[in-house]
Amino acid sequence: MNGFYRQLAGMIAFVSTFALISFDAIAQNQDAQVLYNRALAATCANCHGTDAKGIENAGMPLINQLTEKNMLTQLMAFKTGSRAGTIMPQLMKGYTDEQLQIIASVLGKK
Amino acid sequence: MNRRLFLGQSTALLGLMLGVQGAVRAADLKTAEIIVVGAGYGGATTAKYIRLLSNNTAHVTLIEPDAIFISCPLSNLVVGGSRTLEELSTTYDTLRAKHGINLIRDLVSQVDPNKKTIKLGSGKTLRYDKLVLSPGISLMTDSIEGLAQANASGATLQAWKAGPETIALHQQLKAMRDGGVFAITIPEQPYRCPPGPYERACQVADYFKKNKPNSKVLILDANQDVVSKGALFKKAWAELYPGMIEYRASHSVVRVEGESKTLKFDIQEDVRADVLNVLPPMRAGALVVSAGLANSNKRWAQVNFLNFESTAAKDIHVIGDSAQNAAFMPKSAHMANQHAKVAAASIVAELSGWEINPSPVLTNTCYSFVDAKQVVHVASVHQYSAVEKTYKTVAGSGGVSLAPSDLEGTYAWGWARNIWADSLS
Repeated sequence: MNGFYRQLAGMIAFVSTFALISFDAIAQNQDAQVLYNRALAATCANCHGTDAKGIENAGMPLINQLTEKNMLTQLMAFKTGSRAGTIMPQLMKGYTDEQLQIIASVLGKK
Repeated sequence: MNRRLFLGQSTALLGLMLGVQGAVRAADLKTAEIIVVGAGYGGATTAKYIRLLSNNTAHVTLIEPDAIFISCPLSNLVVGGSRTLEELSTTYDTLRAKHGINLIRDLVSQVDPNKKTIKLGSGKTLRYDKLVLSPGISLMTDSIEGLAQANASGATLQAWKAGPETIALHQQLKAMRDGGVFAITIPEQPYRCPPGPYERACQVADYFKKNKPNSKVLILDANQDVVSKGALFKKAWAELYPGMIEYRASHSVVRVEGESKTLKFDIQEDVRADVLNVLPPMRAGALVVSAGLANSNKRWAQVNFLNFESTAAKDIHVIGDSAQNAAFMPKSAHMANQHAKVAAASIVAELSGWEINPSPVLTNTCYSFVDAKQVVHVASVHQYSAVEKTYKTVAGSGGVSLAPSDLEGTYAWGWARNIWADSLS
């Protein structure tokens, strides 16, 4: 193999190393973000069940049939005050709009 | 450019990066020994959520001395006699079987943060990579003269951990003459379950109203005013139990005389009652104290609020009532469950080699029964502030009920059944 190809192979190896590391980093960041999002959505689980699988006929409104879009609409309605409630309007005012979007995307029916 | 040097540099750089990563990550998610101590609202939730958030790859051991879980929330209804302890009890069977948690029924007698080991009551020693302590509170019985003796003789009870004492307290109320006095003393904040003593006063009054209408409830509070849901409780006392409940602020009990059932205070006159429920000051669970982790005023464990790791020992996380709270963060079951999820997610992230979540969120919800059915709530949201390194309640969020209602009574039971499932099954 002549010098040019050897050098080219070396450069490819070098670039690949960084590409792999950066791809790995991106994948890790994505995995970490999924984890953060699940943990954020889990703040709802005390009342509405783990992964939104609430106990049926237990007295607490079930949310597991709401689509992502519908859930976000309801959460925002509680936050803005257009939907009345006991505890939900007070809690929703504590979350950012972005956090409510994440919660709806994790817990909303796909 | 010299090719060999070029290749050598890239290889060295790769090795360095992997090496650094390896050095940072001593144990990984699949091989780490993760031990959780205490299977209450905090510990059980931590164990379950480490399994869930690791997609069932992490190995989790949960250590708990009690055979079954008995809920403190709602247990005031058992004191008042409208509910039974069985209704508030859950086995650990589902937690163990469904989530693959290694449950050991034992006490932890000792923690060695240097060797990273714990010693069990059985004498066995276990090694950990990550340890989560959630032992609840311990009572500072010795801080009130005569209380230990009065407890031993049965003249005073606490019933601040749901169980046999909860039933015993109800039995004492049943045995009391009509026209008698039930006295409850409340320590200065912070203590477990801020609205709990005031709810208990309601439940005892509810029992008296139905069964012993000439009796009285006396609340002797070391605080300057009712510390939680004050306006709602005071209204409920006046409207539901007129003339039956008397509230005295700034009453700090210093001595108990069990034989004569007398309470002595730092300033005020003695009080004699027929049933005495003396709640002494509280601090972190005994294990947290003995492990040297109660570094906040020698009572509570200071933690890094991003992951609830003790500031006194690496790889030991302290959650729930034992942790030094941020401002306006109550020592409640709901909050312990929320601490657990932040701790679980951070442990999974760390052992995966990822950054831990830089902006966790906690909520609190607490329902109190003012009679057997009507309920009032308090709620709050706590966002982590990277600048202040603590949780801050969000302006404009949170609050209390407008008035007691049956609807919130239904929600309170709904909350209970869901949080039991979220923590335990």
